[in-house]
Amino acid sequence: MSAALATAAGGAPLALEARDLGHRYGRRTGLEPLSFALDTPGVTAITGANGSGKSTLMRILAGLLRPTRGAVSLTVGGRSVTAAERRRWVGYASPELAFYDELSAEENLVFAAEARGLEGPAAAAAAALARVGLGARAGDGVAALSSGMRQRLRIAFALLHRPPVLLLDEPGSHLDDEGRTTLAALVGQERERGMVLIATNDEKEWGLAEQRIELRGRGLGHPA
Amino acid sequence: MPSNGSSSGAAVWAILRKECRSEWRTRYGLNAALLFAVTTLTGVSFAMGRLTDRTDMLAALLWVVLLFATLASLSHAFVREVEGHTLTMLRLVASPTAIALGKLLFNIVFLAVIEIVTVPLFLTLMGAPPPRWGAFLGLLGLGSLALACASTLVGAVISQTRGRGALFAGVSIPLLLPVLAAAVSGMRSQWAGGPIAAEARLLAAYSVALLAASLLLYDHLWED
Repeated sequence: MSAALATAAGGAPLALEARDLGHRYGRRTGLEPLSFALDTPGVTAITGANGSGKSTLMRILAGLLRPTRGAVSLTVGGRSVTAAERRRWVGYASPELAFYDELSAEENLVFAAEARGLEGPAAAAAAALARVGLGARAGDGVAALSSGMRQRLRIAFALLHRPPVLLLDEPGSHLDDEGRTTLAALVGQERERGMVLIATNDEKEWGLAEQRIELRGRGLGHPA
Repeated sequence: MPSNGSSSGAAVWAILRKECRSEWRTRYGLNAALLFAVTTLTGVSFAMGRLTDRTDMLAALLWVVLLFATLASLSHAFVREVEGHTLTMLRLVASPTAIALGKLLFNIVFLAVIEIVTVPLFLTLMGAPPPRWGAFLGLLGLGSLALACASTLVGAVISQTRGRGALFAGVSIPLLLPVLAAAVSGMRSQWAGGPIAAEARLLAAYSVALLAASLLLYDHLWED
């Protein structure tokens, strides 16, 4: 455990472990059983065919989905964090994440910061938007943002509360070259603070990771 | 740094403010509710004239107008999150109980706003005799609280189901009938100069029971 990670987790060691973790959506397999343990700062890529369960795994890790098999444990300072509490320690960005169209980008993040109980919600929102290069469009309504800008907003949302575990599902989708450069820089900064998991099939995004978990599911949610 | 103190109070307050801001900007429910109330009262007024000596009919008409004017909007508090794909964001920043309490408070505020416009209009157009203000406002408040508790609970339960419209009617009728019966009976009694304590107690106890059931249920509602 590095000093940087210890600082990110409030001075406590942090570990993420999946044990025989799997998920089924009714008769269809969403995620074939897998196990892994991550307890050091760094970037891990999660790869696999379409339907192999990358997004399902990310949702489970974020505490949004209860697995039908196995378990996930996030341990901070030797204390297990429940799935309900995990959202405080985890930042999550995925294509399914949507914002309120009637609010501006900044208002969406200020709301999220207030709901999370962060101190200085406006400053936290402004800082997160600046980190993804969206500061100049902070006052624009979400409905007026391009798909690339919305993707930046998703990443800003994940970074908002400076979580020690960052879960990025297809983070480069819709981003232009400048956006991908910004993303690479952010991942580099966040790996010094804690864990970054990137679910992707983009080789450029693999390159940001030091290790890779390849999901070997048969893909497309096979019914077996 | 994660927010370990992501207090439920802050989340509830943030959600209430966000709901009010969204409603003010979109007028999603406000205009429809006011349109229904005003046109109904105007239509009944033209057809039946003043109902000064029919306090039994006045009591029923008041609650029927309030119920139908507001019910669609009250139950949509959660459906909007599902259909707008914003529920994932909400779940990441607040606990299910905080989300539901924020929605409940918004529904109470929404009902109060509709009543501020509708009730004076009702009393004027229908030629209602002067009410006993303490009893009248007490019953209005308790009836609205029970209505908000019931519709929030039903809205949360049906939000992720298919065929929400049909399900809403089926689930809400048994929950709303006791509210309507007690509120109409109490209102008739206050105009007749009779006691209202029994109805007031019933509405208060029913609200507390619904709130308690909701607090037990909400944490399990959105587990996939």
